Amino acid sequence: MASVKSWSLLVLVLAPAASACGTVQNFSGDVPPLATLHVEVTGDLEAVRPPGQTAPPDLHVALVWGQQWLTEPLCILPAESADATAVIAAGCRDPFGFVPAQVDRSVAVTVGAPAELELATLPDASLLVGDLTARIGYGSLIVYDDRNGDGSLTLARANRQGHPDMGPDDGGDNQPTTQSDTVYGASFITMTAPDVRLAYREGAFVPYAFYPRAGCGDPPPAFSVDAAGGFTAAAAISATLAGALPPEDPASCAQSSTDTIIQIPISPPADVTELACTERNADSTVRYREPDVDVPDFTGRTTACVHVPTFGAPTDVIELIVTGVLDGPSPDSCKGITHYILKGCREGPDCGTPDWDHSTAPPAWWPC
Amino acid sequence: MALAANAAIGLAAPATAAADDRLLADDTFAVSPPGRLVVDAGLIVGLPAALPTGLSTGVGAGLTRACGCHFAYGALASWASASESSETWTVTHGELRLRATGSLHHEAGRGTLALRLGLGATVVHEDRVRNQGVRAGLTGSELEQTATQALPAADLEAVVTLRIAGPWALVIAGGPTATWFDSHLRGGWTAALGVAWHP
Repeated sequence: MASVKSWSLLVLVLAPAASACGTVQNFSGDVPPLATLHVEVTGDLEAVRPPGQTAPPDLHVALVWGQQWLTEPLCILPAESADATAVIAAGCRDPFGFVPAQVDRSVAVTVGAPAELELATLPDASLLVGDLTARIGYGSLIVYDDRNGDGSLTLARANRQGHPDMGPDDGGDNQPTTQSDTVYGASFITMTAPDVRLAYREGAFVPYAFYPRAGCGDPPPAFSVDAAGGFTAAAAISATLAGALPPEDPASCAQSSTDTIIQIPISPPADVTELACTERNADSTVRYREPDVDVPDFTGRTTACVHVPTFGAPTDVIELIVTGVLDGPSPDSCKGITHYILKGCREGPDCGTPDWDHSTAPPAWWPC
Repeated sequence: MALAANAAIGLAAPATAAADDRLLADDTFAVSPPGRLVVDAGLIVGLPAALPTGLSTGVGAGLTRACGCHFAYGALASWASASESSETWTVTHGELRLRATGSLHHEAGRGTLALRLGLGATVVHEDRVRNQGVRAGLTGSELEQTATQALPAADLEAVVTLRIAGPWALVIAGGPTATWFDSHLRGGWTAALGVAWHP
Protein backbone atom coordinates (compact mmCIF):
# COMPACT_ATOMS: atom_id res chain seq x y z
CA MET A 1 0.00 0.00 0.00
CA ALA A 2 2.99 2.23 0.45
CA SER A 3 3.48 2.16 -3.33
CA VAL A 4 -0.04 3.37 -3.98
CA LYS A 5 0.41 6.20 -1.54
CA SER A 6 3.67 7.24 -3.16
CA TRP A 7 2.26 7.37 -6.65
CA SER A 8 -0.90 9.12 -5.57
CA LEU A 9 1.21 11.68 -3.83
CA LEU A 10 3.29 12.16 -6.96
CA VAL A 11 0.19 12.66 -9.08
CA LEU A 12 -1.25 15.10 -6.61
CA VAL A 13 1.96 17.09 -6.54
CA LEU A 14 2.47 17.10 -10.29
CA ALA A 15 -1.04 17.97 -11.30
CA PRO A 16 -1.33 21.45 -9.80
CA ALA A 17 2.24 22.27 -10.73
CA ALA A 18 1.67 21.36 -14.33
CA SER A 19 -1.64 23.17 -14.48
CA ALA A 20 0.14 26.39 -13.77
CA CYS A 21 2.01 26.29 -17.09
CA GLY A 22 -0.78 27.37 -19.41
CA THR A 23 -3.72 25.73 -21.06
CA VAL A 24 -3.57 23.19 -23.82
CA GLN A 25 -5.32 24.72 -26.83
CA ASN A 26 -4.94 22.16 -29.60
CA PHE A 27 -5.81 23.99 -32.82
CA SER A 28 -8.00 26.65 -31.25
CA GLY A 29 -7.20 30.12 -30.00
CA ASP A 30 -5.99 33.19 -31.79
CA VAL A 31 -3.86 32.61 -34.86
CA PRO A 32 -0.99 35.08 -35.15
CA PRO A 33 -0.91 36.71 -38.58
CA LEU A 34 2.15 36.03 -40.67
CA ALA A 35 2.45 39.74 -41.27
CA THR A 36 0.42 42.84 -40.51
CA LEU A 37 0.42 45.63 -43.04
CA HIS A 38 -0.41 49.17 -42.03
CA VAL A 39 -2.12 51.19 -44.71
CA GLU A 40 -3.65 54.61 -45.03
CA VAL A 41 -5.58 55.88 -48.01
CA THR A 42 -5.12 59.57 -48.71
CA GLY A 43 -6.70 62.02 -51.09
CA ASP A 44 -10.12 63.18 -52.17
CA LEU A 45 -12.27 60.28 -53.18
CA GLU A 46 -15.31 62.29 -54.18
CA ALA A 47 -13.27 64.32 -56.65
CA VAL A 48 -12.44 61.26 -58.73
CA ARG A 49 -15.59 59.16 -58.42
CA PRO A 50 -17.08 58.27 -61.79
CA PRO A 51 -20.34 59.99 -62.66
CA GLY A 52 -23.29 57.83 -61.81
CA GLN A 53 -21.72 56.17 -58.79
CA THR A 54 -23.77 57.80 -56.11
CA ALA A 55 -24.00 55.00 -53.58
CA PRO A 56 -21.72 55.32 -50.56
CA PRO A 57 -18.40 53.71 -51.47
CA ASP A 58 -17.45 50.47 -49.77
CA LEU A 59 -13.76 51.21 -49.82
CA HIS A 60 -11.29 48.36 -49.32
CA VAL A 61 -7.61 47.76 -49.66
CA ALA A 62 -6.50 44.43 -51.11
CA LEU A 63 -3.08 42.91 -51.24
CA VAL A 64 -2.55 41.70 -54.79
CA TRP A 65 0.47 39.64 -55.76
CA GLY A 66 2.10 40.54 -59.02
CA GLN A 67 2.55 38.43 -62.11
CA GLN A 68 5.69 38.23 -64.17
CA TRP A 69 4.49 39.50 -67.50
CA LEU A 70 5.93 40.65 -70.79
CA THR A 71 3.98 42.70 -73.25
CA GLU A 72 3.54 41.54 -76.83
CA PRO A 73 5.87 42.92 -79.53
CA LEU A 74 3.13 44.92 -81.22
CA CYS A 75 2.80 47.10 -78.13
CA ILE A 76 6.42 48.20 -77.93
CA LEU A 77 7.56 48.31 -81.56
CA PRO A 78 6.97 51.49 -83.57
CA ALA A 79 3.50 51.61 -85.08
CA GLU A 80 3.43 51.46 -88.87
CA SER A 81 0.30 53.53 -89.42
CA ALA A 82 -2.12 55.88 -87.75
CA ASP A 83 -4.68 53.08 -87.52
CA ALA A 84 -2.13 50.90 -85.82
CA THR A 85 -1.26 53.68 -83.44
CA ALA A 86 -4.91 54.01 -82.49
CA VAL A 87 -5.26 50.27 -81.88
CA ILE A 88 -2.07 50.14 -79.83
CA ALA A 89 -3.13 53.13 -77.75
CA ALA A 90 -6.51 51.58 -77.03
CA GLY A 91 -5.44 47.96 -76.81
CA CYS A 92 -2.07 47.85 -75.10
CA ARG A 93 -1.65 48.22 -71.37
CA ASP A 94 1.33 49.91 -69.78
CA PRO A 95 4.24 47.55 -70.48
CA PHE A 96 5.84 48.61 -67.19
CA GLY A 97 2.65 48.42 -65.18
CA PHE A 98 1.83 46.13 -62.30
CA VAL A 99 -0.02 43.03 -63.49
CA PRO A 100 -2.09 41.14 -60.92
CA ALA A 101 -1.73 37.44 -60.47
CA GLN A 102 -3.67 36.67 -57.31
CA VAL A 103 -5.75 38.66 -54.87
CA ASP A 104 -4.91 38.08 -51.23
CA ARG A 105 -6.83 39.49 -48.29
CA SER A 106 -8.79 42.70 -48.24
CA VAL A 107 -9.68 45.06 -45.42
CA ALA A 108 -12.26 47.83 -45.24
CA VAL A 109 -10.72 51.28 -45.05
CA THR A 110 -11.73 54.89 -44.67
CA VAL A 111 -9.90 57.70 -46.39
CA GLY A 112 -7.53 59.35 -43.94
CA ALA A 113 -7.75 56.65 -41.30
CA PRO A 114 -5.07 54.00 -40.79
CA ALA A 115 -6.04 50.37 -41.18
CA GLU A 116 -4.38 47.05 -40.67
CA LEU A 117 -4.31 44.19 -43.13
CA GLU A 118 -3.35 40.88 -41.57
CA LEU A 119 -1.91 38.16 -43.78
CA ALA A 120 -2.80 34.60 -42.88
CA THR A 121 -0.88 32.82 -45.62
CA LEU A 122 2.27 33.21 -47.62
CA PRO A 123 2.19 33.71 -51.36
CA ASP A 124 2.25 30.32 -52.99
CA ALA A 125 5.14 29.14 -55.10
CA SER A 126 3.47 30.10 -58.36
CA LEU A 127 3.65 33.74 -57.31
CA LEU A 128 7.35 33.68 -56.51
CA VAL A 129 10.06 34.11 -59.11
CA GLY A 130 13.28 32.17 -58.68
CA ASP A 131 14.17 28.74 -57.43
CA LEU A 132 13.93 27.20 -53.99
CA THR A 133 17.15 28.83 -52.83
CA ALA A 134 16.33 32.34 -53.96
CA ARG A 135 12.85 33.48 -54.85
CA ILE A 136 10.79 36.57 -54.40
CA GLY A 137 7.28 37.89 -54.88
CA TYR A 138 5.96 41.43 -55.02
CA GLY A 139 2.58 42.73 -54.06
CA SER A 140 0.69 45.95 -54.54
CA LEU A 141 -1.91 47.31 -52.15
CA ILE A 142 -4.87 48.28 -54.27
CA VAL A 143 -7.68 50.56 -53.14
CA TYR A 144 -11.06 49.73 -54.57
CA ASP A 145 -14.75 50.26 -54.09
CA ASP A 146 -16.22 46.82 -53.52
CA ARG A 147 -19.28 47.53 -55.61
CA ASN A 148 -20.26 43.88 -56.06
CA GLY A 149 -20.02 43.31 -52.31
CA ASP A 150 -18.01 40.11 -52.45
CA GLY A 151 -15.37 41.39 -50.04
CA SER A 152 -12.56 40.95 -52.51
CA LEU A 153 -11.15 42.72 -55.52
CA THR A 154 -12.65 41.21 -58.66
CA LEU A 155 -10.19 40.73 -61.48
CA ALA A 156 -11.30 41.20 -65.06
CA ARG A 157 -9.80 40.15 -68.37
CA ALA A 158 -9.47 41.55 -71.84
CA ASN A 159 -12.36 40.87 -74.21
CA ARG A 160 -10.63 39.22 -77.14
CA GLN A 161 -12.64 37.88 -80.03
CA GLY A 162 -12.54 34.43 -81.52
CA HIS A 163 -14.11 31.05 -81.55
CA PRO A 164 -15.48 29.84 -78.23
CA ASP A 165 -12.97 26.99 -78.29
CA MET A 166 -10.10 29.41 -78.55
CA GLY A 167 -10.29 30.52 -74.96
CA PRO A 168 -7.65 29.77 -72.38
CA ASP A 169 -7.45 26.37 -70.81
CA ASP A 170 -7.11 27.72 -67.29
CA GLY A 171 -10.66 28.88 -66.86
CA GLY A 172 -9.72 32.49 -67.37
CA ASP A 173 -12.78 32.99 -69.52
CA ASN A 174 -14.82 32.88 -66.34
CA GLN A 175 -13.52 36.29 -65.41
CA PRO A 176 -15.66 39.24 -66.41
CA THR A 177 -14.65 41.63 -69.16
CA THR A 178 -16.33 44.48 -67.36
CA GLN A 179 -14.96 45.33 -63.95
CA SER A 180 -17.63 45.47 -61.30
CA ASP A 181 -15.38 46.98 -58.64
CA THR A 182 -13.88 50.41 -59.08
CA VAL A 183 -10.16 50.76 -58.52
CA TYR A 184 -9.04 54.01 -56.91
CA GLY A 185 -5.34 53.64 -56.54
CA ALA A 186 -2.48 51.46 -55.48
CA SER A 187 0.82 51.57 -53.71
CA PHE A 188 2.51 50.08 -56.77
CA ILE A 189 1.04 51.07 -60.12
CA THR A 190 3.94 51.02 -62.54
CA MET A 191 7.70 50.73 -62.55
CA THR A 192 7.99 54.11 -64.23
CA ALA A 193 6.56 55.94 -61.22
CA PRO A 194 7.42 56.00 -57.51
CA ASP A 195 5.98 52.96 -55.77
CA VAL A 196 5.78 51.22 -52.44
CA ARG A 197 5.52 47.46 -52.74
CA LEU A 198 5.29 44.54 -50.40
CA ALA A 199 8.17 42.16 -51.00
CA TYR A 200 8.30 38.59 -49.83
CA ARG A 201 11.68 36.95 -50.12
CA GLU A 202 12.79 33.39 -49.44
CA GLY A 203 16.45 32.44 -49.41
CA ALA A 204 19.03 34.54 -51.15
CA PHE A 205 18.20 37.44 -53.45
CA VAL A 206 19.05 37.32 -57.13
CA PRO A 207 18.28 40.48 -59.11
CA TYR A 208 15.77 39.31 -61.68
CA ALA A 209 13.98 41.39 -64.29
CA PHE A 210 10.84 40.81 -62.26
CA TYR A 211 9.72 44.29 -61.26
CA PRO A 212 13.43 45.09 -60.93
CA ARG A 213 14.92 47.33 -58.29
CA ALA A 214 18.55 47.61 -59.35
CA GLY A 215 20.50 49.89 -57.08
CA CYS A 216 18.20 49.65 -54.11
CA GLY A 217 19.94 46.79 -52.36
CA ASP A 218 18.56 43.40 -51.55
CA PRO A 219 15.15 43.29 -49.94
CA PRO A 220 15.27 41.76 -46.46
CA PRO A 221 14.19 38.13 -45.99
CA ALA A 222 10.50 37.40 -45.43
CA PHE A 223 8.12 40.35 -45.67
CA SER A 224 9.30 43.90 -46.15
CA VAL A 225 7.96 47.17 -47.46
CA ASP A 226 10.16 48.51 -50.23
CA ALA A 227 9.93 51.90 -51.86
CA ALA A 228 11.70 53.37 -54.87
CA GLY A 229 11.34 56.27 -57.26
CA GLY A 230 10.95 54.28 -60.48
CA PHE A 231 12.78 54.58 -63.78
CA THR A 232 11.92 55.95 -67.17
CA ALA A 233 10.82 53.83 -70.12
CA ALA A 234 13.85 55.06 -72.04
CA ALA A 235 16.15 53.96 -69.24
CA ALA A 236 14.48 50.57 -69.19
CA ILE A 237 14.92 50.08 -72.93
CA SER A 238 18.55 51.22 -72.81
CA ALA A 239 19.35 48.94 -69.92
CA THR A 240 17.62 46.01 -71.58
CA LEU A 241 19.56 46.50 -74.79
CA ALA A 242 22.74 46.58 -72.70
CA GLY A 243 21.75 43.36 -70.94
CA ALA A 244 21.29 45.06 -67.60
CA LEU A 245 18.47 46.08 -65.31
CA PRO A 246 17.30 49.69 -65.27
CA PRO A 247 18.81 51.42 -62.27
CA GLU A 248 16.84 53.14 -59.55
CA ASP A 249 18.02 56.30 -57.88
CA PRO A 250 19.47 55.00 -54.61
CA ALA A 251 18.31 58.16 -52.87
CA SER A 252 14.72 57.20 -53.61
CA CYS A 253 15.06 53.67 -52.21
CA ALA A 254 13.75 52.72 -48.80
CA GLN A 255 13.41 49.29 -47.26
CA SER A 256 11.54 48.86 -44.03
CA SER A 257 9.57 46.38 -42.00
CA THR A 258 5.86 45.82 -42.31
CA ASP A 259 5.38 48.18 -39.37
CA THR A 260 5.72 51.04 -41.84
CA ILE A 261 2.51 52.80 -42.73
CA ILE A 262 1.95 52.50 -46.46
CA GLN A 263 0.32 55.60 -47.89
CA ILE A 264 -1.91 54.98 -50.89
CA PRO A 265 -3.01 58.11 -52.76
CA ILE A 266 -6.40 58.18 -54.44
CA SER A 267 -6.15 58.22 -58.24
CA PRO A 268 -8.73 58.63 -60.99
CA PRO A 269 -10.14 55.18 -61.81
CA ALA A 270 -9.35 55.59 -65.50
CA ASP A 271 -5.64 55.69 -64.61
CA VAL A 272 -5.60 52.59 -62.46
CA THR A 273 -8.37 50.30 -63.67
CA GLU A 274 -5.94 47.97 -65.43
CA LEU A 275 -4.41 47.09 -62.07
CA ALA A 276 -7.33 44.70 -61.78
CA CYS A 277 -6.85 43.22 -65.25
CA THR A 278 -5.26 39.82 -65.56
CA GLU A 279 -3.18 38.64 -68.45
CA ARG A 280 -3.48 35.23 -70.05
CA ASN A 281 -0.06 35.00 -71.63
CA ALA A 282 2.83 36.19 -69.54
CA ASP A 283 5.66 35.57 -71.99
CA SER A 284 4.78 38.10 -74.72
CA THR A 285 3.49 35.39 -77.03
CA VAL A 286 0.36 35.99 -79.07
CA ARG A 287 -2.49 33.58 -79.71
CA TYR A 288 -3.72 34.14 -83.25
CA ARG A 289 -7.27 33.64 -84.42
CA GLU A 290 -8.64 32.09 -87.58
CA PRO A 291 -11.04 34.46 -89.32
CA ASP A 292 -14.54 33.07 -89.38
CA VAL A 293 -16.72 33.04 -92.51
CA ASP A 294 -19.17 35.37 -90.83
CA VAL A 295 -18.06 38.84 -89.99
CA PRO A 296 -17.18 39.21 -86.30
CA ASP A 297 -18.95 41.80 -84.24
CA PHE A 298 -16.63 44.80 -84.36
CA THR A 299 -19.15 47.13 -82.72
CA GLY A 300 -17.32 49.56 -80.47
CA ARG A 301 -13.94 48.14 -81.44
CA THR A 302 -11.09 49.70 -83.39
CA THR A 303 -9.27 47.72 -86.05
CA ALA A 304 -6.15 48.02 -88.16
CA CYS A 305 -4.19 46.00 -90.66
CA VAL A 306 -0.50 45.67 -89.87
CA HIS A 307 2.45 43.50 -90.65
CA VAL A 308 2.99 40.80 -88.06
CA PRO A 309 5.53 42.47 -85.77
CA THR A 310 8.85 40.80 -85.14
CA PHE A 311 12.07 41.80 -83.46
CA GLY A 312 13.98 40.43 -86.42
CA ALA A 313 13.62 40.84 -90.15
CA PRO A 314 10.38 42.47 -91.33
CA THR A 315 7.64 40.08 -92.38
CA ASP A 316 5.22 40.44 -95.26
CA VAL A 317 2.42 38.66 -93.44
CA ILE A 318 -0.52 40.96 -92.79
CA GLU A 319 -2.69 40.56 -89.73
CA LEU A 320 -5.86 42.20 -88.54
CA ILE A 321 -5.64 43.64 -85.04
CA VAL A 322 -8.76 44.47 -83.07
CA THR A 323 -9.17 46.25 -79.75
CA GLY A 324 -11.70 45.43 -77.08
CA VAL A 325 -15.03 47.20 -76.89
CA LEU A 326 -14.18 50.85 -76.34
CA ASP A 327 -17.58 52.46 -76.73
CA GLY A 328 -21.17 51.61 -76.07
CA PRO A 329 -23.25 50.93 -73.02
CA SER A 330 -20.84 48.39 -71.57
CA PRO A 331 -17.24 49.06 -72.62
CA ASP A 332 -14.56 46.61 -71.66
CA SER A 333 -12.54 47.39 -68.58
CA CYS A 334 -9.32 45.77 -69.71
CA LYS A 335 -7.14 46.44 -72.68
CA GLY A 336 -6.30 43.69 -75.10
CA ILE A 337 -5.80 43.02 -78.78
CA THR A 338 -7.20 40.25 -80.92
CA HIS A 339 -4.98 39.07 -83.78
CA TYR A 340 -6.39 37.53 -86.95
CA ILE A 341 -4.25 35.95 -89.65
CA LEU A 342 -5.43 34.30 -92.86
CA LYS A 343 -2.92 31.48 -92.73
CA GLY A 344 -1.18 29.91 -89.80
CA CYS A 345 -1.73 28.45 -86.37
CA ARG A 346 -2.59 29.65 -82.92
CA GLU A 347 1.10 30.17 -82.33
CA GLY A 348 1.62 32.35 -85.39
CA PRO A 349 1.95 32.47 -89.15
CA ASP A 350 5.24 30.56 -89.23
CA CYS A 351 4.22 27.29 -87.70
CA GLY A 352 5.18 24.86 -90.43
CA THR A 353 1.97 23.18 -91.47
CA PRO A 354 -0.77 25.77 -90.98
CA ASP A 355 -3.93 24.81 -89.16
CA TRP A 356 -5.92 27.06 -91.42
CA ASP A 357 -5.30 28.75 -94.76
CA HIS A 358 -7.72 31.31 -96.17
CA SER A 359 -5.05 33.19 -98.05
CA THR A 360 -6.41 32.20 -101.43
CA ALA A 361 -10.04 32.82 -100.51
CA PRO A 362 -10.33 35.28 -97.65
CA PRO A 363 -13.73 35.83 -96.00
CA ALA A 364 -15.79 38.50 -97.68
CA TRP A 365 -15.43 40.82 -94.70
CA TRP A 366 -11.62 40.56 -94.49
CA PRO A 367 -10.41 44.16 -94.62
CA CYS A 368 -6.69 43.71 -95.10
CA MET B 1 29.01 -58.66 -35.45
CA ALA B 2 31.67 -56.71 -33.58
CA LEU B 3 32.21 -54.61 -36.65
CA ALA B 4 28.53 -53.86 -36.81
CA ALA B 5 28.49 -52.87 -33.15
CA ASN B 6 31.44 -50.56 -33.58
CA ALA B 7 29.80 -48.94 -36.56
CA ALA B 8 26.63 -48.39 -34.58
CA ILE B 9 28.58 -46.74 -31.76
CA GLY B 10 30.44 -44.60 -34.26
CA LEU B 11 27.20 -43.36 -35.78
CA ALA B 12 25.57 -42.77 -32.44
CA ALA B 13 28.42 -40.74 -30.93
CA PRO B 14 27.92 -37.56 -32.97
CA ALA B 15 24.20 -37.64 -32.29
CA THR B 16 24.83 -37.67 -28.57
CA ALA B 17 27.19 -34.70 -28.86
CA ALA B 18 24.57 -32.72 -30.83
CA ALA B 19 21.95 -33.34 -28.17
CA ASP B 20 24.20 -31.75 -25.55
CA ASP B 21 24.55 -28.52 -27.64
CA ARG B 22 20.83 -27.90 -28.27
CA LEU B 23 19.71 -24.32 -28.11
CA LEU B 24 16.44 -25.25 -26.48
CA ALA B 25 16.65 -27.51 -23.52
CA ASP B 26 13.72 -29.38 -22.08
CA ASP B 27 13.31 -26.77 -19.39
CA THR B 28 13.77 -23.72 -21.59
CA PHE B 29 10.12 -22.82 -21.42
CA ALA B 30 9.67 -23.85 -17.87
CA VAL B 31 8.09 -20.99 -16.03
CA SER B 32 8.39 -19.83 -12.50
CA PRO B 33 5.25 -19.67 -10.44
CA PRO B 34 3.79 -16.14 -10.51
CA GLY B 35 5.28 -13.95 -7.84
CA ARG B 36 3.66 -11.21 -5.86
CA LEU B 37 5.59 -8.47 -7.62
CA VAL B 38 5.57 -7.91 -11.38
CA VAL B 39 7.56 -5.32 -13.27
CA ASP B 40 6.57 -4.68 -16.86
CA ALA B 41 7.59 -2.38 -19.70
CA GLY B 42 6.66 -2.00 -23.32
CA LEU B 43 5.23 0.01 -26.13
CA ILE B 44 1.96 1.85 -25.87
CA VAL B 45 -0.38 3.32 -28.43
CA GLY B 46 -3.66 5.11 -28.08
CA LEU B 47 -5.85 8.05 -28.78
CA PRO B 48 -4.24 11.29 -27.60
CA ALA B 49 -5.61 12.62 -24.36
CA ALA B 50 -6.31 16.10 -25.68
CA LEU B 51 -5.64 16.22 -29.40
CA PRO B 52 -8.86 15.70 -31.32
CA THR B 53 -7.19 13.43 -33.84
CA GLY B 54 -4.08 11.39 -34.37
CA LEU B 55 -2.36 8.46 -32.71
CA SER B 56 -0.19 8.73 -29.66
CA THR B 57 2.74 6.33 -29.44
CA GLY B 58 5.38 5.82 -26.80
CA VAL B 59 6.72 3.65 -24.04
CA GLY B 60 5.51 2.77 -20.59
CA ALA B 61 6.42 0.83 -17.49
CA GLY B 62 4.55 -0.43 -14.49
CA LEU B 63 4.81 -2.10 -11.17
CA THR B 64 2.14 -4.44 -9.88
CA ARG B 65 1.92 -6.18 -6.56
CA ALA B 66 -0.53 -8.97 -5.93
CA CYS B 67 -1.86 -9.37 -2.49
CA GLY B 68 -2.38 -13.10 -2.54
CA CYS B 69 -5.95 -13.13 -3.60
CA HIS B 70 -7.61 -11.94 -6.83
CA PHE B 71 -6.64 -8.36 -6.26
CA ALA B 72 -3.50 -6.49 -7.23
CA TYR B 73 -2.45 -2.89 -7.08
CA GLY B 74 0.33 -0.89 -8.58
CA ALA B 75 1.39 2.06 -10.57
CA LEU B 76 1.95 2.83 -14.25
CA ALA B 77 3.87 5.56 -15.97
CA SER B 78 4.15 6.13 -19.67
CA TRP B 79 5.29 8.73 -22.14
CA ALA B 80 3.75 9.08 -25.54
CA SER B 81 3.59 11.76 -28.14
CA ALA B 82 1.47 12.69 -31.12
CA SER B 83 1.79 15.41 -33.73
CA GLU B 84 -0.94 16.72 -35.99
CA SER B 85 -1.38 19.71 -38.25
CA SER B 86 -4.12 22.07 -39.26
CA GLU B 87 -3.94 24.83 -41.81
CA THR B 88 -2.37 27.16 -39.30
CA TRP B 89 -0.76 25.03 -36.58
CA THR B 90 1.43 22.00 -36.19
CA VAL B 91 0.66 20.73 -32.71
CA THR B 92 2.75 18.19 -30.84
CA HIS B 93 1.54 16.73 -27.59
CA GLY B 94 3.80 14.88 -25.22
CA GLU B 95 1.75 12.94 -22.70
CA LEU B 96 3.03 11.70 -19.36
CA ARG B 97 0.45 9.28 -18.05
CA LEU B 98 0.61 8.54 -14.35
CA ARG B 99 -1.79 6.00 -12.96
CA ALA B 100 -2.42 4.26 -9.70
CA THR B 101 -3.94 0.92 -10.56
CA GLY B 102 -6.06 -1.73 -9.00
CA SER B 103 -6.88 -4.94 -10.76
CA LEU B 104 -8.75 -8.18 -10.46
CA HIS B 105 -6.86 -11.12 -11.88
CA HIS B 106 -7.29 -14.79 -12.51
CA GLU B 107 -4.58 -17.37 -13.10
CA ALA B 108 -5.16 -19.77 -15.99
CA GLY B 109 -2.25 -22.11 -16.71
CA ARG B 110 0.65 -20.04 -17.99
CA GLY B 111 -1.53 -17.02 -18.30
CA THR B 112 -3.07 -14.40 -16.14
CA LEU B 113 -6.18 -12.54 -17.09
CA ALA B 114 -6.81 -9.25 -15.37
CA LEU B 115 -9.11 -6.28 -15.47
CA ARG B 116 -7.15 -3.22 -14.46
CA LEU B 117 -8.53 0.16 -13.47
CA GLY B 118 -6.11 3.06 -13.52
CA LEU B 119 -6.76 6.44 -12.00
CA GLY B 120 -4.48 9.42 -12.13
CA ALA B 121 -3.45 12.24 -14.36
CA THR B 122 -2.16 12.73 -17.85
CA VAL B 123 0.27 15.59 -17.98
CA VAL B 124 0.08 17.03 -21.48
CA HIS B 125 2.88 19.20 -22.77
CA GLU B 126 1.75 21.04 -25.85
CA ASP B 127 4.11 22.56 -28.38
CA ARG B 128 2.48 24.23 -31.34
CA VAL B 129 4.21 25.97 -34.18
CA ARG B 130 2.54 28.45 -36.52
CA ASN B 131 2.67 26.95 -39.98
CA GLN B 132 4.73 29.04 -42.42
CA GLY B 133 5.84 31.17 -39.46
CA VAL B 134 9.54 30.51 -39.93
CA ARG B 135 9.36 31.46 -43.59
CA ALA B 136 7.44 34.59 -42.69
CA GLY B 137 10.06 35.58 -40.12
CA LEU B 138 7.89 35.19 -37.04
CA THR B 139 9.63 34.82 -33.71
CA GLY B 140 8.71 34.24 -30.08
CA SER B 141 5.17 33.39 -29.15
CA GLU B 142 3.95 34.36 -32.60
CA LEU B 143 5.92 31.44 -33.96
CA GLU B 144 5.75 28.85 -31.18
CA GLN B 145 3.59 28.41 -28.14
CA THR B 146 3.92 25.88 -25.34
CA ALA B 147 1.67 24.87 -22.49
CA THR B 148 1.57 22.11 -19.93
CA GLN B 149 -1.58 20.94 -18.27
CA ALA B 150 -2.46 18.02 -16.06
CA LEU B 151 -5.72 16.31 -16.95
CA PRO B 152 -7.55 13.91 -14.66
CA ALA B 153 -7.81 10.57 -16.39
CA ALA B 154 -8.89 6.97 -15.94
CA ASP B 155 -8.20 3.78 -17.86
CA LEU B 156 -9.94 0.44 -17.81
CA GLU B 157 -7.84 -2.23 -19.43
CA ALA B 158 -8.02 -5.92 -20.03
CA VAL B 159 -4.59 -7.37 -19.36
CA VAL B 160 -3.36 -10.70 -20.61
CA THR B 161 -0.06 -11.95 -19.23
CA LEU B 162 1.46 -15.05 -20.78
CA ARG B 163 4.45 -16.46 -18.96
CA ILE B 164 6.99 -17.52 -21.57
CA ALA B 165 10.13 -18.62 -19.87
CA GLY B 166 11.40 -18.47 -16.33
CA PRO B 167 10.40 -15.15 -14.81
CA TRP B 168 9.62 -13.55 -18.18
CA ALA B 169 6.17 -13.00 -19.59
CA LEU B 170 4.47 -11.31 -22.51
CA VAL B 171 1.94 -8.67 -21.59
CA ILE B 172 -0.85 -7.38 -23.81
CA ALA B 173 -3.25 -4.78 -22.52
CA GLY B 174 -5.89 -2.52 -23.92
CA GLY B 175 -9.12 -0.78 -23.21
CA PRO B 176 -11.04 2.44 -23.01
CA THR B 177 -9.80 5.63 -21.42
CA ALA B 178 -11.47 8.76 -20.18
CA THR B 179 -9.89 12.17 -19.76
CA TRP B 180 -11.35 15.33 -18.35
CA PHE B 181 -10.33 18.06 -20.77
CA ASP B 182 -11.74 21.46 -21.53
CA SER B 183 -14.68 20.89 -19.17
CA HIS B 184 -15.67 17.76 -21.03
CA LEU B 185 -15.15 14.07 -20.54
CA ARG B 186 -13.23 12.82 -23.53
CA GLY B 187 -13.23 9.15 -24.39
CA GLY B 188 -10.42 7.25 -25.99
CA TRP B 189 -8.53 4.02 -25.96
CA THR B 190 -5.12 2.70 -25.19
CA ALA B 191 -3.22 -0.48 -25.93
CA ALA B 192 0.13 -1.84 -24.84
CA LEU B 193 2.47 -4.65 -25.75
CA GLY B 194 5.40 -5.43 -23.51
CA VAL B 195 7.31 -7.83 -21.37
CA ALA B 196 6.95 -8.50 -17.70
CA TRP B 197 9.34 -9.87 -15.17
CA HIS B 198 8.50 -11.25 -11.84
CA PRO B 199 11.24 -11.99 -9.38
